[in-house]
Order: sequence, then C-alpha cells, then structure tokens
Amino acid sequence: MIRLEELGPCFPGIVPAQIATCGRDGEPNVTYLSQVQYVDPRRVALSCQFFNKTRRNVEENPLASVLLYHPLTFEAYRLRLRFEHAETEGPLFDTMALRIQVIASHTGMTGVFALRSADVYEVLSVERVEGLLLPADPALEEAAPPLPAGPLTEIRGLQVVSDRIARAPDLPALLAGALEALDALFGFSHAMVLVPAGGAELVAIASHGYGEAALGARARIGAGIIGCVAQRRRMLRVAGVGAELRYGRAVRERLEAAGGGTLPPEVPLPGLPDAQAQLALPLLVRDRLVGVLAFESRDPLCFDDWDEAFLGIVGNQIAMGMDRLRPAGEGTGPFPAPRLAPAPERRRVFCYYRNDDCVFVDGEYLIRNVPGRILWKLLGQHRREGRTEFTNRELRLDPALGLPAVKDNLESRLILLRRRLQEKCPEVRLVPVRRGRFALELDCAVSLLEKECG
Amino acid sequence: MIPAQLAGFLESGVSVLVATRDARLSPDALRAMGVRVERGGAELTVFLPAATSREALANLRDNGRIAVCFSRAADHRSVQVKGRAVEVGEAGADERERVERYLDALADAWGVIGIPARATLRLAHWPCHAVRVRVEGVFVQTPGPDAGAPLVDVAGRAP
Repeated sequence: MIRLEELGPCFPGIVPAQIATCGRDGEPNVTYLSQVQYVDPRRVALSCQFFNKTRRNVEENPLASVLLYHPLTFEAYRLRLRFEHAETEGPLFDTMALRIQVIASHTGMTGVFALRSADVYEVLSVERVEGLLLPADPALEEAAPPLPAGPLTEIRGLQVVSDRIARAPDLPALLAGALEALDALFGFSHAMVLVPAGGAELVAIASHGYGEAALGARARIGAGIIGCVAQRRRMLRVAGVGAELRYGRAVRERLEAAGGGTLPPEVPLPGLPDAQAQLALPLLVRDRLVGVLAFESRDPLCFDDWDEAFLGIVGNQIAMGMDRLRPAGEGTGPFPAPRLAPAPERRRVFCYYRNDDCVFVDGEYLIRNVPGRILWKLLGQHRREGRTEFTNRELRLDPALGLPAVKDNLESRLILLRRRLQEKCPEVRLVPVRRGRFALELDCAVSLLEKECG
Repeated sequence: MIPAQLAGFLESGVSVLVATRDARLSPDALRAMGVRVERGGAELTVFLPAATSREALANLRDNGRIAVCFSRAADHRSVQVKGRAVEVGEAGADERERVERYLDALADAWGVIGIPARATLRLAHWPCHAVRVRVEGVFVQTPGPDAGAPLVDVAGRAP
C-alpha cells in the first residue's frame, strides 16, 4: 500500500479532490472537496462547511472513496475511507478553519462561510488509479523540474540568513538583510514583514520584491491570510489561491441567490494581485505577537511542508532579532517591548493619590507633583506595554505631566526622582542610557494603586 | 427529467464525475468522458473510459445505481443527476468523435484555471463504455447553503 505521507503534494488541493459516498438507501453521491487534510499516517480530515449530502451519507454509511490528484503529474490516488468522527474544536479544527476564514474574509463572507466541522476518516487503503493517464508525449512535456537542493545547501543557506539576522545593527538592516538573503539563497522572491500598528491593524515595515509600494501597506487583523495569521497566531499556507477564491465566490453567489442578504464587498488581496500561493507565519516572542512574516508566489506549488518548517525556523530567528532591536524610547514604537525577565524577589506597592498629586510606596510618602506624575506614567506604561526605555522628549510632549512649555527643568526633576527612589525604593531605578534617554530597571514586582486620599 | 436549458451545460466542457456503489454500499468515484442527453432529458448516456471503469461497470451490473456530478471549473457551477443504469455496452466507433470533442472542450475549460492542455489531454479517454442512465432526480451541487437541494426547489435561479 502506498503510504499516505507520500501523497504530500496532493493535499493542498491544487487539482480539487473528489469524494463518493452512499446513503443507506443505496443511492450513491459524488462531489468535489474543498479541503483534504493529512492528520496522521492512518487518517485524513475533510472539511465540512455545510451539512450536505456527503455528510448525511457518511453518518448513515461511513464508507467513502476519495480521489486525490498529484498537481504536477496528474496521477490520481484512490483513498478508501471510513468516517470516524467530527471535530468542532482543537488544533485540527483550527488549522482547517483558518484556511476557510482566509477565503471567507477575502470574499466578504466572514462569519457566513465558516468551517462547521473537521470530519476525520480512517484510511482503509491507498492505491494509484491505474490507466488514468496515457503515456506522456515527450514533445509536449517540459523537462522535469530540478531536484530540490540538498540538506547541506539548505543548512548553509540557513546559516547565512541566521548570520544576517544576528549581526544586524538595527531593525531595518535585520529585516532587509533577512528578506534579501531568503530571495538570493532560496528564491523567496516576494516577502514582507508587518507589525501591529495599534488598533486592529498591521503595517508593513519591510518588504522585498514589491518595490517601495508595499511599505506602509496595511492588513486588518482577522482579514486575509496575514490578518488571520495574526489573529490565530498560527502558520498558514494557501496553495492554489485562485482555486480557493473561485470556490469562495461560488459559495458567495449561492448565499446571495438564497437571500442571504447583502454581503460586504470582496477584499482585494494584499501584495501580488495574481498571487497563486501564500504562506504567512506569526512572529512570536513567548506569547507576544511582534509581527507577521508573509510570502507570496505566482507559482501555486511554491510552498510545501519543507517551506513551512524552514520558514518557521527563520521566523523564530527574526522574531528574536526584532525583540532584541526593538525601537526604544521614541513613542510607543511599532510593537511593544517585553516585560522585564528577572524573577522579582519582593513586591513594592505604589499608590498615587489623585487629589493630592503624590505617590506613596508601601505606605510611605515618596514624591509629589511633576516628578510624581512622571514616575506614575513610567510605571503605568511599563505595566501596560512592557516598555523599559523612555525619552526625555516624550515626557516633554505629554500634556498630562504639566511641564511648563519653556524652562521645564525636566533634567533636574528627573534627578530628584532618581535620588528619592534610591533612598526609599532602590529596587526601582531610572538609568540614563544615552543622551536624552533612560531605562526603567526593576528588581521587584510592582503593584500600582490609584486612590483619592481621605 | 433534465430541463432543456440544462442539457447544453451538461454536454459542454464541464467535469463529469460518476459515483457507483457495490452490494455492500461501498462507493467508487471516477471521471467520465462526457455525456449525451437523450429522450428529451429523460435519459443520459455517460461515457466511461475502459481503462478506469472496471469497478464502476461491475457495480452498475450489480445494482445500476449511479450519480453523475457536472461541474464547471471556472465558477464551480454544479448539478448532480441521480439515476439507474438501464444499459451498459461498449461505445461505438461513431461516438469516438463526441468523446474527443468533449476532452478538447474540457482542456479549454481547465486552461482557464491554469491547468495546461497537455496535462488534460493525457487523460485516458478511448475506448469507452456507454452507460445509458434513466434520470430519477436532478440536484443543485454548486457549493453553498442550498447544495444538494432538488433543482425544482430552486427554480428560477440558475443552479
């Protein structure tokens, strides 16, 4: 028997698969499938978006026969299946649902067209369909595609990409260097990195292969492949984008014809207008999303399991690099910085009395007025956004601190605050890092309370 | 009964998939090489390539139950015909041209969605068996909320 793993290229459905089932009354049924997902060496899952005849049949009679097609050779493989169970949550469901969400969001059907269940089938047998194809005509056939590069080449290429990331002096150099190397060494010709831009949007801060136009491109969280990857924090690969969109549009037309109301307009694809394959992955540092790395190609077969694994490694390196080089000080930056790592040994409780404009620490007066408000702002931003580095400029621009427009004496107020902390709470320090910038260092856990005194 | 306006769609370069089943209700799928609508839509002749239809023919001889799905590649417009095989035989030489024209039309239709004609034209298509089917029902199969509904229930809307 052919092993299921050998059918890897058939699963993305570039040539759509077909399923035959049979009701208990003996009436057969045949239809196209939108998704066949490899689960393990003995199981596949089929997507169920509507409670259709196929699903009704397998509940009565679990036997099914699926034809899967190899996208390059067009050979077909017959899978004899037995319906096992339907999953409506969990990792398998999430993976399949995400793919449908991408198409639904592109075709204006978010929330209308969604995965109902991931239907898991036991694979009873796998066989090649004999006699389906005539012998190839050498005059018509192109030369066989070159074999993929060997592991040594891949490891060396990965080393170059990794070096670029590790040695980059700043964020633009890191992202540009990594994306260039991925193209030069591995042929990923269209790539971009987007970061959370506040609200429900991501913005592209680096791109390769699109020209200048892609910089600043925006993606809404939850929409399209990039937005869905950001929302679900899972890698996603869509092969045969054209086929998926055609399927989505067909469903949309039926929904509208069935009186499903007015659906929102279709969302244009970001990046290449004629992309046929997309792969996007979340850039995560611990559980924090620092960005999305997205690739596109006009070749529907461009991305496979290897690319997922390889780009997963590269993505982790980029995420760690971005974390290391996060923009500090200026404003809130395009993405939040991490919380401080050291395990705090004790907890200090800071309390800000609004009507008295003063800060107490563990019940003891610390400081009041402008330096007090500065400390409150820093501790608050650290807690909310994990920021550790700040600039004098942003303090001057914050009207809530009430600094005078001229002769604000900010430096001397900061010196006062630093000294007072040294005396009464040495676990919290403001350390100058370079001109106009300082870092907030904490050697303790901090609780923040806000009260009216009285 | 196949409505007259649907016959042209069924005979065009749409994908034709066939399902049969054996005595144990185990189903089988294969691709047909086109159809001919006959007797004013009361019957269909379905052309099954001899190279791939051994199991389907055995099933049809056993019980005659057949489903035929027609689907247009460009927009997934699909219908399914359910029926019973009333006659199974070898397709005549005079039907070879119909089968070859069908394959050419399929190659054109698939070309629109990026499948090269050289691949489509490699599908084994002759000799064929001709399966005469008595039509018992026609259903909408375009993916969507009403997939599987009888065609008469969605009258007034194209399937």
